[in-house]
Amino acid sequence: MSTAHAYPHEDTGVETRKLGMWVFLSTEILFFGTLITTFMIFKGKDFPGIKLTDVYDIPFTSISSFVLLMSSLTMVLAHNALESDDQEKTRVWLLATAMLGAVFLAGQIYEFTEFYHKGFELDTNIFSSSFYVLTGFHGLHVFIGVVLLLSLWGIGQRQNGLTLESGMNLEFVALYWHFVDIVWIVLFTVVYLI
Amino acid sequence: MSNSHLSHPTPKKYVQIAIVLGVLTAIEVALYYTEEIVGSFTAPLLVTLAIGKFVIVVGWFMHLRFENKTVNRFFTGGMILALILFAIVMFERASANYF
Repeated sequence: MSTAHAYPHEDTGVETRKLGMWVFLSTEILFFGTLITTFMIFKGKDFPGIKLTDVYDIPFTSISSFVLLMSSLTMVLAHNALESDDQEKTRVWLLATAMLGAVFLAGQIYEFTEFYHKGFELDTNIFSSSFYVLTGFHGLHVFIGVVLLLSLWGIGQRQNGLTLESGMNLEFVALYWHFVDIVWIVLFTVVYLI
Repeated sequence: MSNSHLSHPTPKKYVQIAIVLGVLTAIEVALYYTEEIVGSFTAPLLVTLAIGKFVIVVGWFMHLRFENKTVNRFFTGGMILALILFAIVMFERASANYF
């Protein structure tokens, strides 16, 4: 069974690149924290134009949320497979994660298109602007994640295998992907359910 | 104390965790549709469920509970700063509405 590694040669006891990834994620928390705070300032206030509650589709968004949540499972299974040096399973789970991410993105594009057709546009009011900026930036992060996943999958195919030690590290991409998932956990509750 | 000696979960355990996450999501959606019955408890319950899901993903899928203390501090630090920002702005908003 695999174990997490300690790095006694580093002063911090953590691999520097990995620590850097966590510091990056910490800054991302502040980035999304600011966007969520801005959204919450305007949520519940009365603005002219159509309201978000008039246009959104909770069953649809719930399924999208479930898809993204399950992509975290396939991601962690890819990481687990690589720790066991099972290259075939690693590639399969990586591709599955990228596909689930793409499904989520397609759902978001469909949702935004529907909102626009119903009149809830970027410039409808300041609340709609904060909604599109918040969920749009999350969508951009998902897109970047899908590109990273497909790149890893491609590298795995070309180089006949991935490693956890060097190159574009699957562990860091996994951390990024799970982060995108936890941001959506918060957004789903704050934006749609409350 | 570092938890780096702890073993990561097995694939079976990961699937069980994912099932728990799926069930929590289903409860969230059910709460949304039963708001009239649950009443004022709906929002606190939804926030609690979201925090639960957040902690599960960060702890098990991101392996934070198995990580070095330094890593934990950076992530928790970011969370605390974001929550302080949120609290200050919400307090200001409430004050502005009150006065």
